[in-house]
Amino acid sequence: MEEMAKVAFGLYALIILGGSLLAVGAKSLVRAMVGLIATLLGVAGMYMLLNSVFMALMQILIYVGAVCVLIFFAIMLTKADPEGEEAESSPLYQNVLALLAVLVTGGVLSWLVLTRPLATTGVPVEVTIEKLGLGLLGPYGLAFELISVVLLISMAGAVLLAWERRNGK
Amino acid sequence: MPAEFIRILIGLVAVAISVGLIGLVMVWVERKVAGHIQRRPGPYEVGPSGLLQPLADALKLVGKQLFMPDKADPILFWLAPVLSFLPVLLLFLPLPLGDGLYALDVNLGLLLILAFSGLAVLSLLLGGWASNNKYGLLGAARAVAQSVAYEIPLLLSVLAVSFVAGSLNLAEVVKGQGTWPWNWNIMTQPLAFLIYMVSALGETNRAPFDLPEAESELTAGFHTEYSGMGFGLFFLAEYANMVVVCAVATALFLGGWNGPVLPGPVWFVLKVSLLMLLMVFFRWTYPRVRFDQLLNINWKWLMPLAVLNLLATSFFVKLAQFTEVRW
Repeated sequence: MEEMAKVAFGLYALIILGGSLLAVGAKSLVRAMVGLIATLLGVAGMYMLLNSVFMALMQILIYVGAVCVLIFFAIMLTKADPEGEEAESSPLYQNVLALLAVLVTGGVLSWLVLTRPLATTGVPVEVTIEKLGLGLLGPYGLAFELISVVLLISMAGAVLLAWERRNGK
Repeated sequence: MPAEFIRILIGLVAVAISVGLIGLVMVWVERKVAGHIQRRPGPYEVGPSGLLQPLADALKLVGKQLFMPDKADPILFWLAPVLSFLPVLLLFLPLPLGDGLYALDVNLGLLLILAFSGLAVLSLLLGGWASNNKYGLLGAARAVAQSVAYEIPLLLSVLAVSFVAGSLNLAEVVKGQGTWPWNWNIMTQPLAFLIYMVSALGETNRAPFDLPEAESELTAGFHTEYSGMGFGLFFLAEYANMVVVCAVATALFLGGWNGPVLPGPVWFVLKVSLLMLLMVFFRWTYPRVRFDQLLNINWKWLMPLAVLNLLATSFFVKLAQFTEVRW
């Protein structure tokens, strides 16, 4: 069983890595979105491995099923073709900087993980949705409300932006 | 543990076979109903009453050459039909045909179906975009606006039922309902049933909401450029999605396998077939709605109604709990 979990972990990690590389490197925006979808599905697999089926399904329902579809809508509105000027490869120093950013973040994270091993590595326990719901409305109520405030602010911002543009026209 | 795997494996094989068979039967039913509604016989040459016509059509589809348009995106173009068909196999696994007769016993079965049915839209719009065809792109654009809109009332109406049942496990929801029609959830949640069926038509792109593939405006919408089994997979996935939608409706609202005299699975199949037949009748009796009408129906009627229904349901559920405690 433990070997299977490790194999599954490796598989999901590969999917996440490959998907994110495609998302960053693809010339066509829709292919980049497919990479993003693969990454999100891999993350859902990771949730599954952590025995939180609800989180995994929510990840697929919200991020893959809704957010990515909306991103696709945005892509179709922009009409960015692969031969357009945005599709040209960026100058060398930008690529070097991007690589540096990845290496520094990854280096710091892996150094932290390798030098400070986790104290607990038990088999994850499945949290039922009843527990999850009670937790969100009880002890973690404030955080839950704050997240919805963030969503409200972003929605208000979107309305404001659209409003200004309509008046300007 | 291996027993679980074997169960899922048997389930997958059974689902694959039955999806193929259902596809064949549904094509025949659809063409026959269409024929009789339009006062013509429908297929009748091949086999008794044309029963073998879909089989001949399927063989023809398999034998056809696969074309790809010039300058299409090759990877995404071929990924789309596969992506439309694969999740369908998964959708059937948590459906309870009878007491204990399901492939995957998962607490969140309903959520699993809802989550993976969202992938169908993705495949549809990838196919439409990758074909490098304006009809395909228009079909994809319509599919996005339509499915994002119709998913919300669908989820809200399903949520109302699961509030009453107190579970997201389809088998549990069925067990909460009785043998006779007046014990079924449709009696307590008629509005949710109506909203569910209308949004299900929208989600499965069935007429009168078949705008992504409207053949009289967009030739065939998102699958204009697909030939042979590329088209065949989209087609099969559409029928399979119809079955899933009707099966979920049966389990949630129509008592699932519950029914007098006949054994459970027979009742389940009967109810699902009845709902499918209803969807076919809808297709051939109602004209296609216009796109602004489609969005108006959803955002101005279904959404507010579903929210109100959910609020009322949660109020009454809480009230029932409260009185129970006081008792």
